[in-house]
Amino acid sequence: MSLLDIRNLTIDLADGRRLLHGISLGVAEGETVGLVGESGSGKSLTARAVLGLTPTGSRLDGSVMLDGHEVLGAAAREVRALRRHSAAMIFQDPRAGINPMRTLGDHLTETLRLCDGLPAADAEARALDLLAAVRLPRPADHLTQYPHEFSGGMLQRVMIAGALTSAPKLLVCDEPTTALDVTTQAEIMRVLVEQREGRGMGMLLITHDLALAASVCDRLVVMRAGRVEEEGSAMRVLVAPEADYTRRLVAATPTLAAGPAASAEPPEAPTASAPAGSGPGSSDAPSAAPAPALSVTGLSKTYRPRGRPPVIAVADASFELERGGALAVVGESGSGKSTLARMIVGLEPSDGGTLSIGGRDRAAGPRGRAERLERARSVQMVFQDPYLSLDPRVTAGRSIEEALRLHTRMPRAAARNRAVELLERVGLTAEHAAARPRTLSGGQRQRVAIARALAIEPEVLVMDEATSALDVSVQAQVLDLVAGLRRERGLTLLFISHDLAVVRRVCEQTLVMRRGEVVERGATAELLDAPRHPYTRLLLDSVPRPAAPADSVVAPR
Amino acid sequence: MAAAQAAAGSGAHGRFTGAGLRRVAGKLGGLALTLFLASLLVFFSRFLVPGDPVSFLLRGRKPSAEAVAQVTAQYGLDLPPWQQYLDWVVGALHGDFGRSLQFRQDVATVIGDRLPVTLMLVVMAGIGIAVVGVGAGIVAALNRGKALDRVTLIGLTVLSAIPSFVGSIVLISVFAVQLGWFPTFGSGDGFGDMVYHLVLPSIALAIVFVVLVGKVTRSSMVEQLGREHVEVATSRGLKRGTVIRRHVFRNALGPILTVSGVLVAGLIVASTIVEAAFGLSGIGSLLVQSVDRLDFPVVQAIVMFVVTAFVVVNAVVDVLEPVIDPRSAAGAGAR
Repeated sequence: MSLLDIRNLTIDLADGRRLLHGISLGVAEGETVGLVGESGSGKSLTARAVLGLTPTGSRLDGSVMLDGHEVLGAAAREVRALRRHSAAMIFQDPRAGINPMRTLGDHLTETLRLCDGLPAADAEARALDLLAAVRLPRPADHLTQYPHEFSGGMLQRVMIAGALTSAPKLLVCDEPTTALDVTTQAEIMRVLVEQREGRGMGMLLITHDLALAASVCDRLVVMRAGRVEEEGSAMRVLVAPEADYTRRLVAATPTLAAGPAASAEPPEAPTASAPAGSGPGSSDAPSAAPAPALSVTGLSKTYRPRGRPPVIAVADASFELERGGALAVVGESGSGKSTLARMIVGLEPSDGGTLSIGGRDRAAGPRGRAERLERARSVQMVFQDPYLSLDPRVTAGRSIEEALRLHTRMPRAAARNRAVELLERVGLTAEHAAARPRTLSGGQRQRVAIARALAIEPEVLVMDEATSALDVSVQAQVLDLVAGLRRERGLTLLFISHDLAVVRRVCEQTLVMRRGEVVERGATAELLDAPRHPYTRLLLDSVPRPAAPADSVVAPR
Repeated sequence: MAAAQAAAGSGAHGRFTGAGLRRVAGKLGGLALTLFLASLLVFFSRFLVPGDPVSFLLRGRKPSAEAVAQVTAQYGLDLPPWQQYLDWVVGALHGDFGRSLQFRQDVATVIGDRLPVTLMLVVMAGIGIAVVGVGAGIVAALNRGKALDRVTLIGLTVLSAIPSFVGSIVLISVFAVQLGWFPTFGSGDGFGDMVYHLVLPSIALAIVFVVLVGKVTRSSMVEQLGREHVEVATSRGLKRGTVIRRHVFRNALGPILTVSGVLVAGLIVASTIVEAAFGLSGIGSLLVQSVDRLDFPVVQAIVMFVVTAFVVVNAVVDVLEPVIDPRSAAGAGAR
């Protein structure tokens, strides 16, 4: 019997907009189904509808049968009963999802005490068992701790334990690892799969990450713009996608494998066509080249928070980046990669070491307006979230014009023309110049941010996680754009990322950081194919790979 | 981030251990400093104000030189200002604020007689503000965007626009004169009678402030209602009321408490008007009267009292904050 059966589900908002256009999907007992889609596809909405969590004032139509009960139109009491016994949900951000003002023990025992009427001692015993089951180190201590004392990965385990308190038959996971580091993601997915198998639960995994979904799911449902585009066994969807959209999605998903598709991508191209900078092949660092665009030796930064032990953000980082080269800095959160970027851009003074950009010493942070302007002319940064890095009140064209007029004495009309040129360069049109950020999509905004950073032709462009907030298809477009700019202009790029697969696509050199230290550096292809440092190996092993687990999917369950 | 998290995790386990005590000690130090600065300001402002206490004391008489000298010496006005200040502070710390010029009594006695009325008035108004303001805020937040929300907000705003003296007069004329439910005047004898006498004054005092607490409660609740942990709690099958109580209201308490702390000073100051309107002899009416008659010792004592009450209440709010929000005990880095 099927555990969850969604038929022709539609959701209309109070203002009449239709968000779901007749979704149908099912989850059998013990089955894992992946619901894959980009932002705005309605996948989270669908998942929430299973538990009767719908936007206020919305109208639903169709049918959602959960564990033999109809969810749509059910009385509040019935919906509560389903939430208490049939299905549980794990949310994306555990830091937002667990009440920060209550203890973890309270979170875990709350429903047992208040819904099932268990005595506090019994509820605690159950909580301890579950904390041990999700492999948290000291269950008894954790009960009296608060969420802020935990890392994101540990909190997500708590969230999982909390969802398991009700012994649900269906576990709905909404992007359970998106907010986490790749190694943590691997651990969490292991716990999830382990629990699902141990308890014979059905699982609905909502994710934007096709590779992740394919690595753990039996079947995949691909959604776009409120419609199901394609449905089928995980392997089939990934290897032989039928729908046009799925095909594009698969192509846009960066992979670690140096398959034919990947090797034909930018990595080779810029090396071949970047004669402006360095003469010899750029894979083995040339020392005879003129002045490298960026040279860092022994750069360090330590934060000394009051009343707490000092945090070494960057320790003794050294590297060179020749003109026209592209260096990736890879690391998980807390690795110091962003601090490194901020020091290079001059947003953060360094504690020690040397830093020279275009042959000029820039170790000291810029002082005064003139120095800040000069630093800005030599290096520009594209930030992670284009929703935050653009002023919502300033049009795209104006924000570029302002950068031009700040740094050059260009008259207004000329600046305006140049801004349009730059926008066209990044694949936008003159019409976009008059648009405010609000009306632009995420990818368009990031293009504006790139155009603005390139406006004054900096010697080095720093991109700090500049594509990680974007959907994969948009990310692919932005990466292609960057590759194109490198080919055309010999752009020197420092690319900060947590995503090894993306790095493979963009940079020929890679640097791996961990807890402030550079643990490995080398040519990207070599480093990914034959990592020397154990941490690099761990990072690589943590990247979800559909191929290996897919064998177990093919095998009878 | 991760490193910072780990550091916070190891240190912040007990909220009332070393770090917590240091926090409280720091607060007390700040409190003492604030009171010291306030005392400087309060004491020396006398020298900036026009008017001479001696001429008030000798009012109506043609002062002979000896009389002036005698009065000056009796009240210690011939000493250098810093010595006067020291004497005053040392006395104040012992509960001796000098002698009132107008009553020819100890300031402590003068104030002590009137303090209970004002305290009672402020406490009753405070309770009324908390109950009505928080209640209205909750009702508005839970009905956000609906008619009830708008009606509540508009109602509170209209009430807050009524000046205390107008409110007092309306309350007196309706409930005291026409309906005869409450007395028009005085503060009564004994606890029960005092409460009865102070019902109308405390309502008149509370009206203006209810809107502040109501609006803060509403916005704080609305913010919490949108939080993901509220949705998580709902998804786990908790009843709506339980979710609101345990996860929304509980988390919304911080700003409500902060605003309530700030309100205390406002209430004491605003009580002057209400006390005058209802013929209550409390601190407020005493302050007005003393300013009028240049009775500096009393004015200084009252102002110091208001400042102290304000600072202490806010220090208590600050100390309570980590009890409400464990993150604040671990420092801003943990947020």
